[in-house]
Amino acid sequence: MDMTDKDNKLIEAFFKQAAQQQIEDNGFTERVMDSLPELAMEKSQRLTRLWTLFCVVVSVALFFVLGGWESLKVSALVALQGILTSLSVFVTTAPTTEVPLNPWVVLLAVAFVLVFLPYQTYRKLSATL
Amino acid sequence: MAELTDIALVTQVAVFHNKRAFDQLVRKYQSPVRRFFLNQTLGDEQLSDDLAQETFIKAYTSITKFRGMSSFSTWLMRIAYNVFYDDVRSRKQTSDIDTPVVAHLASSGAEAGLKQDIHQALATLKDEERTCITLQLIDGYPIDQISKITGIPENTVKSHLRRGKEKLTIYLKENGYDR
Repeated sequence: MDMTDKDNKLIEAFFKQAAQQQIEDNGFTERVMDSLPELAMEKSQRLTRLWTLFCVVVSVALFFVLGGWESLKVSALVALQGILTSLSVFVTTAPTTEVPLNPWVVLLAVAFVLVFLPYQTYRKLSATL
Repeated sequence: MAELTDIALVTQVAVFHNKRAFDQLVRKYQSPVRRFFLNQTLGDEQLSDDLAQETFIKAYTSITKFRGMSSFSTWLMRIAYNVFYDDVRSRKQTSDIDTPVVAHLASSGAEAGLKQDIHQALATLKDEERTCITLQLIDGYPIDQISKITGIPENTVKSHLRRGKEKLTIYLKENGYDR
């Protein structure tokens, strides 16, 4: 059987209204969202978060039980004393001869660090995002 | 622009497991997906909604497999097509009844009558013919997209469309639609 233009138009007219039919949601989306399963990735992420929380709680508890605060204070004092000693040694033994510096080179270096590098970083981040 | 929005939403779901983004995708595509199933099941609303729900759940669980090679709607309709034919196969295994039966609509009126007429007409077609015909004439997909959705070669799609249209023409003429 050969299809004529009239036959094609007859079929198109018959399906025209069906093609325009829109089905109302009527709670369908909610039912789908309620029945979504937990993805394996979501499950592993939830377990990772729980494990991290557990480790943090245990670490904090051990820190106080084992006198971590006292150890931290002693360590901080020792480190501070070390830094002060190093600074005093540096100040008393530093070379006093003048180093010749070109002010334009210094200005260019400062401009490069303070202006050009942040600008380039901003451009690259903008292009990525 | 619509494609860009779809890809942005899919990315949100795939990367950040953003369920709100998936909610938007379901809202956007529930109508075409449910309409596709209504036409395949000849108006069985309960079965159509169950199959549509299964389609969206499969889309959610395998969303990372969407590579953007085709549009999201084509990818989703391919899942819908596979869900429908998996259901057809499982039904054939458990039942000897092969002939589809047009569901009787609970609602009344001219619109319901027209739907019933369309489903009666679609019932005269074979499964593959019905799928190709509805994807082209109701859902508006071109032949190459129908081929991607169904996985049937384009020439075979054309054959299904030709045979389907011939059967529909005979049905419509016999029932006085050409007057």
